Amino acid sequence: MKMAPFLIFLILLLSSCGGLPAIKKPAYLSGEQHSDCPSPFLKKPLRLIHAIEMKMGKEPRGAVIGVTLADPATRFISCAILTAEGVVLFEAQAAPSLKVFRALPPFDSLDFAQNMIDDIKLIFFAPGGKMLAGGTLEDGTEICRYRDEGGNWIDVRAGIAEKIEINKYSSTGILKRQIKLDRTKGNIYQHIELTAQERFNYALTMTLLEMEPVESELLKEDAEGDVK
Amino acid sequence: MVKKYLLIIMIVFVLLLPGWARAADFEQLRSDAAKIKTLQALFVQKKQLKILSKPLISEGRFFYVAPDAIRWEYLKPLKSVVVFNKGEARRYLMSGGKMVEDKSGSVQAMSIVLGEISNWLGGKFNRNPSFQASLKKGVNVMITLVPVDKNMAGMMEKIEITIAKNTMAIKSVKIIESENAATIIDFRQVEINKAISGSLFQEIK
Repeated sequence: MKMAPFLIFLILLLSSCGGLPAIKKPAYLSGEQHSDCPSPFLKKPLRLIHAIEMKMGKEPRGAVIGVTLADPATRFISCAILTAEGVVLFEAQAAPSLKVFRALPPFDSLDFAQNMIDDIKLIFFAPGGKMLAGGTLEDGTEICRYRDEGGNWIDVRAGIAEKIEINKYSSTGILKRQIKLDRTKGNIYQHIELTAQERFNYALTMTLLEMEPVESELLKEDAEGDVK
Repeated sequence: MVKKYLLIIMIVFVLLLPGWARAADFEQLRSDAAKIKTLQALFVQKKQLKILSKPLISEGRFFYVAPDAIRWEYLKPLKSVVVFNKGEARRYLMSGGKMVEDKSGSVQAMSIVLGEISNWLGGKFNRNPSFQASLKKGVNVMITLVPVDKNMAGMMEKIEITIAKNTMAIKSVKIIESENAATIIDFRQVEINKAISGSLFQEIK
């Protein structure tokens, strides 16, 4: 009970922090994941192949093929970007430290590599930090709010026109990423929309081409092996 | 990136020439190449990478009209088209439900290299010192190209072309990029000197 005033203060703080939407009906406060929280995240290791359409601002910038290997238990990620012609533009692994094996322009900056890994984690992994609040928003949608190790706020919202939204805000409450997953599709990863607010805003529309389970042991071998 | 695109296109373009299929030596290839007026084929491409458990399959088609019109088109899983016509190259990608031109600076470099391909089509294979070629006969005919140019060698280890001995038609091309990466292109329905519409090499809208 001694914590109650602090938690109320925390809710008010979260509600007033920049662009973060106010949680009107806080149902629970916890440092742990709550079972009622929307959780569109991976439960087991998967390999996913998506067609990815890219936009810079509102300008279409073509499409690429994205391959992702992700293990939620170890937070291992291996990923590659290929052109329609099969040329590998980018290949990297986070296990957990980032290793870039190939990066051709325009994917050759370290910022790009880190942002891409962060985006993949945001889409497929449950937030790594603590859950700070959960409840409903003014529009009635369910929400759980987390704060990651970097101080960013991550909102996971359900009930928005059959979509699940993952919104990432900076520590000062500026919206940095908005991810929409479509619950009406047979597979939650069938159609993913990602909007990024950066120095150069970009948007990705991902359409699932293939998905298959992966043995976690294989991912360990990848992490330990010498990938070229 | 551009080099990679063009390398694959160049390799496939040269390898589709019937001269490679019919001739037992490289001198014969040169004279046979000049007989090609048009060429078209379907292809299935298998991309092998360590991150993939099974190859990523792409399908497409290829067109050439002498002396310098090329269309290299992928239909699945993503649509893309490279068109080279009258010394100018354009690349298009499907985006937002329509074909969008790739406006990156890579297109300029593409023009230069595709111009080089035109030389090859004229039978001037030995003018490009980038590869060392060897030929081996067995159940099939195998042509191996090993890059000698340092920049090229950094992009691939070798290329293996398999030609069916009975029909002397190109069966497949294997581009070995590294220990963990390879591209295999299987050709079918190769047609030589059949009429091809000029509209295939026009701007795509």
